[in-house]
Amino acid sequence: MSGPDRNAQGVPLSIRGLHVALPPGADRALAVEDVSLDVGRNEIVCIVGESGSGKSVAAHAVMGLLPRGLRAAGGNILWNGVDLLAQSPEAMRRLRGREIAMIFQDPMAALNPVVPVGAQIAEQIRAHRAVSEHAARNEAGGLLEQMGLSAALLKAFPHQLSGGQRQRVMIAMALSLSPRLLIADEPTTALDVTTQAQILALIRRLQVERAMSVLFITHDFGVVADIADHVVVMRQGQVVESGTAKAVLGAPAHPYTRALLAAVPSGESMPPPAGGKTLVEVSRLAKRFHRGGLLARSAVTALDDVSLTLSRGETLGIVGESGSGKSTLARCVIRLLDPDAGAVLLDGADIAQMRPRALRPVRRRIQMVFQDPFSALNPRQTVEEIVTAGPRAHGEDMREARARAADMLSLVGLGPRALKRFPHEFSGGQRQRIGLARALMLRPEVLIADEPVSALDVTVQAQVLRLLDDVRRQMNLAMLFITHDMRVAAQICHRVMVMRRGRVIETGPTREVFAAPASDYTRALLAAMPGRRAV
Amino acid sequence: MNRLIYIATRLLKTGLVAVAVVLLSFFLIRLAPGDAAVVMAGQSGYADETFVKSLRAEYGLDQPLPVQLWKYVTAVAHGDLGTSYERREPVLKVILERLPNTLLLDAFALLLAMSGGIWLGALAARRPGSAGDAGVTVLSMLFHAVPQFWLGMMMVLVFSIWLAWLPPFGIATMGADYAGLARLADIARHMILPGVTLALYYLAGYARLTRTAMIEVAELDFVKTARAKGIGERQVARRHILRNALIPLVTYAGLQASILVGGSVLVENVFSWPGIGTLAYEAVNARDNPLLLGIFMVTALLVSLFNLITDISYSIADPRVEVGG
Amino acid sequence: MKDFARAFLSRPGAILGLCVFAAIVAIALAAPFIFARGPFIIVGMPLLPPGAPGLPAGSDVLGRDMIAGLAFGARVSLLVGVTSTLVAAGIGVLLGAAAGYYGGLVDDLLMRVTEFFQIIPSFVLLMVLVAFLKPSLASTVIGIALVSWPQVARVARGEFMALRAREFVEAARTLGESDVHIIFAQILPNALPPIVVVSSMMVGSAILTESALSFLGLGDPNLMSWGSMIGGSRSAMWVAWWTTVLPGLAIMVTVLALNFVGDGLNAALHPRRHR
Repeated sequence: MSGPDRNAQGVPLSIRGLHVALPPGADRALAVEDVSLDVGRNEIVCIVGESGSGKSVAAHAVMGLLPRGLRAAGGNILWNGVDLLAQSPEAMRRLRGREIAMIFQDPMAALNPVVPVGAQIAEQIRAHRAVSEHAARNEAGGLLEQMGLSAALLKAFPHQLSGGQRQRVMIAMALSLSPRLLIADEPTTALDVTTQAQILALIRRLQVERAMSVLFITHDFGVVADIADHVVVMRQGQVVESGTAKAVLGAPAHPYTRALLAAVPSGESMPPPAGGKTLVEVSRLAKRFHRGGLLARSAVTALDDVSLTLSRGETLGIVGESGSGKSTLARCVIRLLDPDAGAVLLDGADIAQMRPRALRPVRRRIQMVFQDPFSALNPRQTVEEIVTAGPRAHGEDMREARARAADMLSLVGLGPRALKRFPHEFSGGQRQRIGLARALMLRPEVLIADEPVSALDVTVQAQVLRLLDDVRRQMNLAMLFITHDMRVAAQICHRVMVMRRGRVIETGPTREVFAAPASDYTRALLAAMPGRRAV
Repeated sequence: MNRLIYIATRLLKTGLVAVAVVLLSFFLIRLAPGDAAVVMAGQSGYADETFVKSLRAEYGLDQPLPVQLWKYVTAVAHGDLGTSYERREPVLKVILERLPNTLLLDAFALLLAMSGGIWLGALAARRPGSAGDAGVTVLSMLFHAVPQFWLGMMMVLVFSIWLAWLPPFGIATMGADYAGLARLADIARHMILPGVTLALYYLAGYARLTRTAMIEVAELDFVKTARAKGIGERQVARRHILRNALIPLVTYAGLQASILVGGSVLVENVFSWPGIGTLAYEAVNARDNPLLLGIFMVTALLVSLFNLITDISYSIADPRVEVGG
Repeated sequence: MKDFARAFLSRPGAILGLCVFAAIVAIALAAPFIFARGPFIIVGMPLLPPGAPGLPAGSDVLGRDMIAGLAFGARVSLLVGVTSTLVAAGIGVLLGAAAGYYGGLVDDLLMRVTEFFQIIPSFVLLMVLVAFLKPSLASTVIGIALVSWPQVARVARGEFMALRAREFVEAARTLGESDVHIIFAQILPNALPPIVVVSSMMVGSAILTESALSFLGLGDPNLMSWGSMIGGSRSAMWVAWWTTVLPGLAIMVTVLALNFVGDGLNAALHPRRHR
């Protein structure tokens, strides 16, 4: 039960000194550098790392399915003592699916859209065994039932299934020939939190029932804590740390692992708000999106009866998964979208009903910081043009605006030299600072932050959050903070509001909601927080 | 259910296109400078007074615009596209006599273009960046830059004048009076040059599109899944890549149909193929405007019908069909 | 800009296309000075082969200088190709921008119209238009612009629709910028590359269309164009190949050069869009 030197006989998969070369001109020479790891019989090994760490490439190398342009440049991949890197393509083909199977991140993309799922499973069976189409279909039906699906789904096309059902189909297909090793490449990342838990439980159950080995690729320490026997932490193509789950999560040896785990809040969260004056009052907001043509229209409810209040100096977190309506809510409050019903009162005036002419002067009082640092700034404008766009739109004196832009950039931690440069010359974190400067130039009273740190890496996240909180305090801003990440919400929000499918699940001071969630859904979200259980 | 709604939507669209074509035709007549009756008769001044008068009466051109429009629409709806000035015959009758020849030529060209193009495109996609791939790209650029009518003349120059392999014009050998199989063979021989000329342009398009579609599909995740299942490369290519890459090609065939008709006007003229295209040319030369307009209406309706068919085949090829859009 | 130039110039096809195109433009501009008597003047016996004294490209059925015809033909082709594309691009960008930015009914309407133009046989419509308006340079340009603007409109609409959802456009709206300012100052500069690529390709197809119209006798009867040279020499093809081969080659080379330029533009502009 120690690192890569476990008893070699008991280890079906043993990767030794693997190097995978990137094509010339890439940002580094090797996608995977000197990686060694073992997957023992009947155990689950997790490779953890951020995107670009090479974890997925290593997994694909085992399958002999490296993307075009990448090639194994050294080392061995021993499968029951046989080096897979030395096998012929035909030998690898015969191995794939039969002895080693793989499932992928996005099951919608991983299934052929124009073939019924039953035929896809049958194809897998018939690729390796001489059975009739009919017999293969029957087996496929049995497999679906083992995955907790109805055999009637055999005739369904992938787009007719839910995300969870699709991933179950993928698992059924992967396990149809009882492989000895299952490689799972981020299989739960594209799913919502409740489905995530079900799929993890299913993989765990099947692994025990079938006594197979699993190599599980993830970026999520919450998943690691749930499922791993062994953990391998990767960073920039190299293994920085490996060991039993207990050892790595409980006492991380490498500073990088510690940084990843330390970013998880230790339960202490923001104090309750100071009790400022109510500035924004949203009541009974509703929004539906229509799609389809003349004969068949369908509507998706994005917001259903949402109400909230927001005071000066306070940060309210809107928490939910994708599709919960939190971004739609933000866009209705700032009138990027027109709500179907309900009111958005700013100091008693209803923004939701204002005509465009009346709205324009009000716009400066509510400003927004956006999610994607790459698309939030016009690539063809200089930082100065971007930051002074607000004053220009409101007809202010441009000489004064330019002078203020320099001060504003200093406030957000960038020098005035940034003014003449273009967005692409800055890093993601710097761009978010520019976006914040743009919003603050109009001296707003309300700031809406839509997932402002979700595209940034862990260390930069903390800096930007600190900046937002400082600015909120200095300017006595009312802040609406949209996030999918409970961990981030805990660091900056006084109160949180949990949303799901367009509805409010619960609202309360952050400390109380975290300590004693009132709904099962909130509990599930909290349980999925990275490292929650490990701490 | 979804598919029924989809087909109903497409039917409705085809109907709307038909209405729009008729309205546009009416508008075109009004657009021309001068008396609409004279325009209908022909602009060159040799339209005789009695014919202009009969036209005026026929379309009620002295009446208010909405009445005129109504009369025009009802006439067209009854298959009355007016009278050919030059031939003094109903336009529809003249067109229908020539139509089968055009359909034969266009169908032959389309078949040639699709089969050849898909084959070449699949070949090029197998090894992107190879010499064969570059060859397909260069060929397709070349055929998109050659004027079709000129390409036809070059074909005649090479294969009929210099090599004397194939007949340079017409649909059948004059005065030969073949019957049965010999007649079919004779027509086929005459069809080769115009058919190939017409097909080359679209063949290049199909090759390019098949190539891009296959390269794009090959990058998709489900192809990786197929390989992870341990399926052989040939089956991966056929069942997973080509099957998905063919879907956009169906739509492309529909969109190309309208351009194909334009191309066949030119190619028919070069080869004196007795179809709609040569008829259009004769109509232009004789200033026979009712006939020219009739040709526009008939071809537009045929192409929109063809589009309806490709749209329906598309809904069968792709289970994901989205309603609307 | 520097990146763009480097990417464009790294493609030999694009450089070659640009050089050939520049040469054709030079010939078109110089034609009235070199052949001061114009392309219609009879200079000798009909159907003299290329290389006859003073006739490097031979003479046509009426004994006119082929080389003068080719030079003057370049003027018509380029004039029609460029102006009709400019008109079509102008209409297409305005309508496409409105449809893509505002969506809703405007968009529905525009999409139906562009679909209509995709479905109907546009060359036949063009024949009808030009025949009804009387063949002239103006009717050719108007006709070609009228049947080709939907192509630009579709591209512009797609770009505006995609860019409109980008966060920097949302940011501009929250800052209180006007729609006109957002459309022209924020979105248009970003939407321009694909529009430029489509337009460059359209010049080539407009030249092909013009030649086809002239070939059918629907061109301006007072101008010498490559299409009308071919159309006028059809009967001579059996005895004098150069009368048809040379103008056809001129069309092909011009269109090919333009398409190579368009291809180069596409390659040079494309990677930036995915940044």
